[in-house]
Amino acid sequence: MPTGRWAVIPTVVDMSVNAVSLEEVTKSFGAVRAVDGLSLDIPQGQTLALLGPNGAGKSTTIGMLLGLTVPDAGRVRVFGGAPSAAVRAGRMGAMPQEGGLISRVTVRELVAFVAGAYAAPLPVADVLATARLTDLAGRRVDKLSGGQAQRVRFALALAGDPDLIVLDEPTAALDVEARREFWDGMRRYAARGKTILFSTHYLEEADEHADRIVVIDRGRVVADGTSREIKRVAALTTVSLSVDGETSWLGRLPGVSMVEIRGRRAHLRTTDSDATVMALAEARAVRDLEVSPADLEDAFVALTGRGAASPSPTTAARGAEEESAA
Amino acid sequence: MLGYVRLELVRVLRDVTFLIFGVAMPVVMYLIFTTLGLAPGDERQVALFVMVSMAAYGGIGAAFNNGTGLGEDKALGWVRQLRLTPLAPATVVAGKTITGMVVVVPAIAAVLVAGTLVNHVALSPGQWASIIALLWAGTIPFTLFGLGNGYRLTSQSAGIANFAASMGLAVVGGLWIPADRFPRWLKAISEWTPTHGYADMSWRVAFGQAPSPRSVLVLLGWLAVFGAYALYGYRRAGRAA
Repeated sequence: MPTGRWAVIPTVVDMSVNAVSLEEVTKSFGAVRAVDGLSLDIPQGQTLALLGPNGAGKSTTIGMLLGLTVPDAGRVRVFGGAPSAAVRAGRMGAMPQEGGLISRVTVRELVAFVAGAYAAPLPVADVLATARLTDLAGRRVDKLSGGQAQRVRFALALAGDPDLIVLDEPTAALDVEARREFWDGMRRYAARGKTILFSTHYLEEADEHADRIVVIDRGRVVADGTSREIKRVAALTTVSLSVDGETSWLGRLPGVSMVEIRGRRAHLRTTDSDATVMALAEARAVRDLEVSPADLEDAFVALTGRGAASPSPTTAARGAEEESAA
Repeated sequence: MLGYVRLELVRVLRDVTFLIFGVAMPVVMYLIFTTLGLAPGDERQVALFVMVSMAAYGGIGAAFNNGTGLGEDKALGWVRQLRLTPLAPATVVAGKTITGMVVVVPAIAAVLVAGTLVNHVALSPGQWASIIALLWAGTIPFTLFGLGNGYRLTSQSAGIANFAASMGLAVVGGLWIPADRFPRWLKAISEWTPTHGYADMSWRVAFGQAPSPRSVLVLLGWLAVFGAYALYGYRRAGRAA
């Protein structure tokens, strides 16, 4: 099936076209607005994490991106065309959250079949190696553990060598070891310049594996940037030090948004811990200094407004845009 | 498309339940009916008549089983997975229909072979060729009915619906008990069933007649009905996915 004519197509592709472009996309199920005017552009080659709590609209967004769900309003473009066109052209591969594995076939048979549906697939042996399935190739798909089955789903998504791969909560329900193996395979695929979009509610995964994190909540983008930017927007890096006497000046230090005194220790929340620490050093106030990096989880809670934390979602979103523009 | 058909066939050949209930059972039923003398009448005629009945029953069962498998595939997310490959939806439906047309072959062949080897049924080569062709091509409406159920219903309901349809149609169509022995009202119904039209074509050929136009038309009518049903089921499943 793979011919020279087909094989050259990816090399003549216009890299300036976004891999994914969602414009004001809206989708409701009955009275529930699952996705609410969501806009998102993903340039080619980026690894993007779609982060959000359960029910934030991640799976619906992915369903529309894959052409499985039709949006009520707005426009979805994949490589400049309709999602179904990208699927038919073999440019988009997907790993659904669950399912897709049938009984009574071996791993190799299934992967070879899916690869054969594409014009220019990867060699089956390469797919199996990337997904760490070489040793399981002769095993029946219905006799695999959860982690192994998930790797088969991953193998099916990449078998056609698509330019964009979409993974819906790829590591949900995997143990630590299985998760590590999964991301090993993922990294190898990303290293080939592919665009990857994955959704997750594991914050550390977004933090570790994505170039860019888009936090969505209630069907809208509430933050968009690198994990560092998102933590900064949420202003949750904490600088703490021992203090005596007067403390009001601490609140005027650069970057500090909040001061909390507990006993003899001051806890400063800062958007710019470097500047805050420098200022403390200049004031010769550094005593038992500790800098606790922002916990992405706290940032996440702050951003999605599902906790008592500080900035309102809208402020955070605006901040995030400024951050990524800068 | 060939790759898809090949994959589906591999799955059927490894389906032990199907091999036992779909292929072996019609043969066993055939041998029980004929060797235990349960059916009255001339032994050789019974051997021939029941051979066609049970081959037809096997073919129908395999055709419906294919649709039940589709219901399971849908529940497993396989239908959606296929939608995420470059395979055109029409290719998938066509592939599944072709698979249905292939899997009926062993079920039909097993009974015909048993008829020849065990009961020494003797027919002319022309009769054999016609019977094989009619029994085989005549399964298409049932394949489509099974696929329609598979697309439209949940995995479990599709299994039940397909079993009920194949059993009910086989009984009313006169495959288990000849329709000649039905009460008049049931016989009238029987003659309009797709199963009767399907088996009647081969019965007539087996006993040296030409298939009646009525049987052919009845089966073609059902082909149109079940074809429309399969298409409707497929379109509905597509919207829901």
